[in-house]
Amino acid sequence: MIDSKEAQAALADINEMVARVRQSRIYDIASQIMIVAGVMVVAGNIASYVAPRYSTYIWISINVLNVIAAAVISVLSYRRTGVRAFDYRVLSAFLLFFGFGILCISVLGHFGWREMSVFWPTYFMLFYCLAGLWFGRAFLTIGLSITVLTLVGHFFIGGALFLLWMAAVNGGGLILSGFWMRWGE
Amino acid sequence: MAELDDVIHQPLRLRIMAALNALPSSVGLEFSRLKKLTGATDGNLGAHIETLAKAGYVRVDKAFVGKKPQTTVTASAAGRGAFARHVATLQEIIAGGEGEK
Repeated sequence: MIDSKEAQAALADINEMVARVRQSRIYDIASQIMIVAGVMVVAGNIASYVAPRYSTYIWISINVLNVIAAAVISVLSYRRTGVRAFDYRVLSAFLLFFGFGILCISVLGHFGWREMSVFWPTYFMLFYCLAGLWFGRAFLTIGLSITVLTLVGHFFIGGALFLLWMAAVNGGGLILSGFWMRWGE
Repeated sequence: MAELDDVIHQPLRLRIMAALNALPSSVGLEFSRLKKLTGATDGNLGAHIETLAKAGYVRVDKAFVGKKPQTTVTASAAGRGAFARHVATLQEIIAGGEGEK
């Protein structure tokens, strides 16, 4: 028979494994969502660069597709991971997120295309950083890196080339981060 | 006081069972993922999974994903029960130890 110190150590070991499994499941789903979102963000920025007149429609479509993709990936992953990552609360969070974003850019701020190109990615990345405080440092690292690179582009890259920069750092960053998360999972 | 389960009590087997028990009953973990989570080597992990499988605590499924063989380990109902009893015993030991202070 073991003593209480050894029993505490064994329980701590169990709790650590449970936390690792939970994080691994979250990273598994999040990485898939990030890779898909990254591909769409690359496409959205390039499409906006090529056809700036349609950028509003392009981004509405990209964002709707992103939410649908997140829902589909979560539902398909449920059997494999046992984690239900998409429900009415997540959908409500998306609606609140976009609602507040639209309030900022259209009602309070009257942002131009460039400000919007900075606002949406940094606003998204704010939530990655917040998620990092609960679900693992990878989210925090990704959120901060993409925010810094977005701001670098905003201050140092002029004209429509900024959209190509955003395709690389935001879209490409999400794709690379997704693979990094899968590798480290 | 209930006895600790000797099969589960070994540190690596305890970690394996803790990881599998953290998932829903129908969900298993691939060998490669279990290796990453536990930090064990291939040989060591394989040997301990075999011990758990012999005790009926885990089910081992082998399949091909594309051309790659994939081994999935899932906790059985007996394994989940044994793990729950093992954890309860650990908690009793801790409570007993604190009571003695």
